Amino acid sequence: MIQVKSFVAAAETTAAALSTLLASIDGAVPITPDFLWVFFGSAHDDDAIWTCLRRKFPKAALIGGTSCSGVMSEAGLGGVDSIGLLLVEDPHGAYGSAACHLIDDPADCAERALHDALASADCAGELPELIWIYQSPGHEEAVLEGLRRVVGDRCPILGGSSADNAIAGRWRQLGPHGPMSDGLVVGVLFSSGGIGVDLQGGYEPSGESGIVTRVDRHAAAEVDATGKVRGRHIVSIDDQPAAIVYDRWIDGALADMLDHGGSALLRTTMCPLGIKTGKIEGIPHYLPLHPDRILPGGVLSTFASVEEGTTVFAMRGNKSRLVARAGKVVSAAANTLPNAISGVAGGLVVYCAGCMFAVGEDMHDVSSTIARSFDGAPFLGCFTFGEQGTVLGKNVHGNLMISAIVFGK
Amino acid sequence: MDDSEELRETLVVMRQQVEQLRTEATHANLLLSALDAMLETDAGDDPFTPVFAILTPIFECHCILVLNERNQTPGSLECVATNRRALLGTLWPVGKLLAKALSGHVVSTLSGSGIEAWPDGVMDKLSRNQPALYLPIAVHGSHGVMLLLRDVDQPGFDRTHAALARKFSLLASHALAARRANLATRESHRLRNLTAKLKASQEALLYRANHDQLTGLPNRTHIREQINVRLANKSPGGVLALAYVDIDGFKHINDMHGHAVGDALLMEVARRIQAELRSADLLGRISGDEFIIAFDPVDERADLARFVQRIQSRVQLPMPIENAEVHPSISIGVAFYPEHGLDYETLRRHADLAMYRVKSGMKGGVSFFTHDLGRNASQKLIVERRIKHAIDAREFHCALQRKVNIRNGAIVGFEALARWVDADGVAHEPSTFLSIAAKLDLLDDITEHVVTDLLRHLPALDAKFGSHLRYSVNISAAQAMNIPFMLKLLRRISHAERHGRFTLEITEESFASSGPFLTHILPTLRACDISVSLDDFGAGYSSLAKLSELIVDEIKLDRSLVASIHQRPRSQVILRAVESLGATLNIPIVAEGIETNAENDYFLEHTGIAIGQGFLYHKPQLLRGLLQRT
Repeated sequence: MIQVKSFVAAAETTAAALSTLLASIDGAVPITPDFLWVFFGSAHDDDAIWTCLRRKFPKAALIGGTSCSGVMSEAGLGGVDSIGLLLVEDPHGAYGSAACHLIDDPADCAERALHDALASADCAGELPELIWIYQSPGHEEAVLEGLRRVVGDRCPILGGSSADNAIAGRWRQLGPHGPMSDGLVVGVLFSSGGIGVDLQGGYEPSGESGIVTRVDRHAAAEVDATGKVRGRHIVSIDDQPAAIVYDRWIDGALADMLDHGGSALLRTTMCPLGIKTGKIEGIPHYLPLHPDRILPGGVLSTFASVEEGTTVFAMRGNKSRLVARAGKVVSAAANTLPNAISGVAGGLVVYCAGCMFAVGEDMHDVSSTIARSFDGAPFLGCFTFGEQGTVLGKNVHGNLMISAIVFGK
Repeated sequence: MDDSEELRETLVVMRQQVEQLRTEATHANLLLSALDAMLETDAGDDPFTPVFAILTPIFECHCILVLNERNQTPGSLECVATNRRALLGTLWPVGKLLAKALSGHVVSTLSGSGIEAWPDGVMDKLSRNQPALYLPIAVHGSHGVMLLLRDVDQPGFDRTHAALARKFSLLASHALAARRANLATRESHRLRNLTAKLKASQEALLYRANHDQLTGLPNRTHIREQINVRLANKSPGGVLALAYVDIDGFKHINDMHGHAVGDALLMEVARRIQAELRSADLLGRISGDEFIIAFDPVDERADLARFVQRIQSRVQLPMPIENAEVHPSISIGVAFYPEHGLDYETLRRHADLAMYRVKSGMKGGVSFFTHDLGRNASQKLIVERRIKHAIDAREFHCALQRKVNIRNGAIVGFEALARWVDADGVAHEPSTFLSIAAKLDLLDDITEHVVTDLLRHLPALDAKFGSHLRYSVNISAAQAMNIPFMLKLLRRISHAERHGRFTLEITEESFASSGPFLTHILPTLRACDISVSLDDFGAGYSSLAKLSELIVDEIKLDRSLVASIHQRPRSQVILRAVESLGATLNIPIVAEGIETNAENDYFLEHTGIAIGQGFLYHKPQLLRGLLQRT
């Protein structure tokens, strides 16, 4: 029998928040977690959080990090100073986590971290039921490549890219050996009650599209064996400056930035780019791609890589769909549970921080919609700058998406 | 926008539900088949043997072992059942993964992990790097593990396999426990009556050992013994004729109408043959649809020809079976003692060769062995050896023949065909090797070579002919029903990432309701966006009524229907019916084998058919030649 519980506390100082958090844990029905997620607003002292949790739950595999503007749970939004925990007790399952700094070759780092996580779960060489990752933004595709070298698409890989409150690069990751700012934490889960997962975006093509004709080869781009280049700085679309083309597609919403550049993140959450990921019954499906900055020379920076030659589509979303979709993702994840009849023990939701900005004051509706889908079971939600999950059977990285994992009892 | 998103969302949900239902239905069917097989095995038989046959294709694994706890060897498990005989009885130390499985966990390993210590005695037969699936199972009241192993170069088992293994593990353990309990009850009851029934049992066992249970005829072993006794007692000058009888199209009847009809047909054919035999003649069933007759004595060959003729006439009478009317037909080959052999084996082999000649020509006939036939058979053996060598030497290549729009001449696609180019550069026509390769089960290798050749040249073909053309690959009925072969083929084609551009040409036999093509392969084809073309339509067994039930994307008229169509009113009537049905069902029709302008003109002027193929337009070309000049 799996037991899942969430705890959230908020205070201006980390010490005060942790004190409240521990008090609520001690006051609840005892739980000895085998796995725990922790997320917190980026103003908190991560060393203090890590030390406190290691002392309180020394045997639990730990994974987490900063979340943009705090967390949410079945009790609602925790606020920018909140710290949230999701504890999973599963004596018949196996859980592990490991961490690494993403230096030199991120794919190799990820591969090693996965093997370390499996070893920490005493499951070396075994295919896990789920891999859950939390990382510093920037190398998501390479990290997925490293993990897929080991497991391919034979098990789902979900997770998020850590985010800070002010989009100022102050994101951190928390793993079994402490906090990092340039790291990756990998969790492996072998539950005894089954885990359901889902990942969805909420955007539709608005009509415009063009081919990425050049990607900046110097800005962390990757060149594969066939000479194709993929990267996050799109230089041109249809042989014209990418930012100018994109600005035209979104009716000049970025016109004031075209000459000198600037942060486009908040203005593009309802009108991102998208790339085709495949078709279902002949209907194409798209992976959103979030433009975050305009760079000098009309270069468009995005939160996910795109390959030269790829067709990018202008996409549109709206607030009500971003609210409703959060609940649908949870329900869809619950439907994939291998033994749905036994019920849901609880779960975790990753909600794109960009979507959170777009939804704004209606975010309370998002947390209550999710709570309704969990039907009283506890959950924890974090807000990220990139989301990873399974789309049409493939493990991918995207932006402006919502993912959920649901534990069966 | 909302409508579009709603549609996308609905599709995703529907697809998930359909996938889930399909998976669950497949799992349920598989589990029931495996459990049935396990429970229905006789008391003394290994209950796992039939289960292995069911699990192997579904899990795409090649080796299965059942490891069981033994009191006398604590800390290790003994292999008590396996589909690899050499591994039976091996002792396996309980390492970490086996311990996990013994405690009730299903474990799937990563490819090439090699983390578990395996016994030294198996290392020359297995590799620890083989992807493995460990599932707990309770056998004979003690704990055990079923270990499924894939080849080293195969991907590991995924979550779906683990989920299926979990269900199977639980149910199989219960089934084994139930079987054991039932056996115990039956055992005590049997013991009480054993003495009284011993004699009857022995007779029954003897009969069962010597006779085919379905027809009651002597089986392979018994008929050989009976005939050898007759031969040993033959007086000088005495003649015996041994006839080898094979039911024509039996597999097709079995597939189309089901095993119950197939069984009924076998019994009726046996009864009809028996009815025409003399009291001293012998009849036995030696395998599925093959019988042996010993005509003894034979005074005149002419008399024997009349006997055989009578048997054929009787067998060919219409046979009403379960609301269907079957028209059976048999091919017969005959060899004579002492002229063609002095012992049963030689006579049987020579009669088989004579029968094979009938099958190669006009089925439903009779052929008598001659020594020339024996020499030709030796020639056939040489060809067989050369084909095997050609496969090893990768001498089979892909040739492409255009499919064209006969209304405007545009190329719409290519059909991939096998060509054998030997070391001397001589190209052999398919008629010289395909039937022998099929008989030797070598078609899969040849198809693999053809597809490999085609996939390797696809970028060049796209560059030369455009990336809109479709490519079709021929699949035999036996291949279409071979799940591991088909899944491997579909994976390879899918990896080429030419979605919507591949078609498999499959004959009607593959769609038999009882076969696995409809249940396992067709859904995968749909998922991979690979089309299905009904090949050779109009040849042999084609049924217009059946056509309306089949889910195909294209119909290819057989060349026998196309040949001289302008001069054959009967073929024209059939063609009109097929075309009409195709139009109603919205299935395009391809005319294959157009060789003359007269045939082409007929299609242009009297039909609406747009796609054609044949020597008139293009003779098949090897890829190298096709890419060099067009």
